[in-house]
Amino acid sequence: MATISQTALQNLDESSRKDIMQFIESEQSKSKVQLSIHNFTDMCFKKCNANRPITSGGLDSNEEQCLTNCLNRFLDTNIKVVQALQGSSK
Amino acid sequence: MALFGSTSIGSTSSANSASKSQQLKQEIQDQIAQELAVANATELVSKITENCFEKCIVNPSVALNAQEDYCVNQCLEKYMRSWNVISKAYITRIQQSSAEK
Repeated sequence: MATISQTALQNLDESSRKDIMQFIESEQSKSKVQLSIHNFTDMCFKKCNANRPITSGGLDSNEEQCLTNCLNRFLDTNIKVVQALQGSSK
Repeated sequence: MALFGSTSIGSTSSANSASKSQQLKQEIQDQIAQELAVANATELVSKITENCFEKCIVNPSVALNAQEDYCVNQCLEKYMRSWNVISKAYITRIQQSSAEK
């Protein structure tokens, strides 16, 4: 991978710097979402395949439903917890 | 050659540095995107390995046998499909909650 020299960085004009900062910010939030998806997939894959062997590479409609439900109920739980803690602090 | 060169030297030097900045900016952004893509792929590989090892290799022996090999392949495919399902559902959910606000 090419390395970028320090002096070249200092010669960047103002608008390019701004663009780069913006780019980093948007990539960071994209990365955060991806990391969440990794964690949710890990968790829901375990839950939906618990107590049964992997017999096919595909997903049937039940498995797909299980994954979607798993994610949505997890997020519901997250909201509930936040609300409960907000309520108790008042 | 001389015709082009003689008149435009002064004006191209600032245009040149602007295009150099532009080029450097692109390089930096490409490099950042590339590194994040590698990090994302690494995370996926590690999660799939963990999950499929757990699922498919119950009693580790001297080598992967045919059954384990088959299981790992199926598991890998299932995991990636699952990733896509979760990704779609999560993004739908994010869009819903931002639409409510």
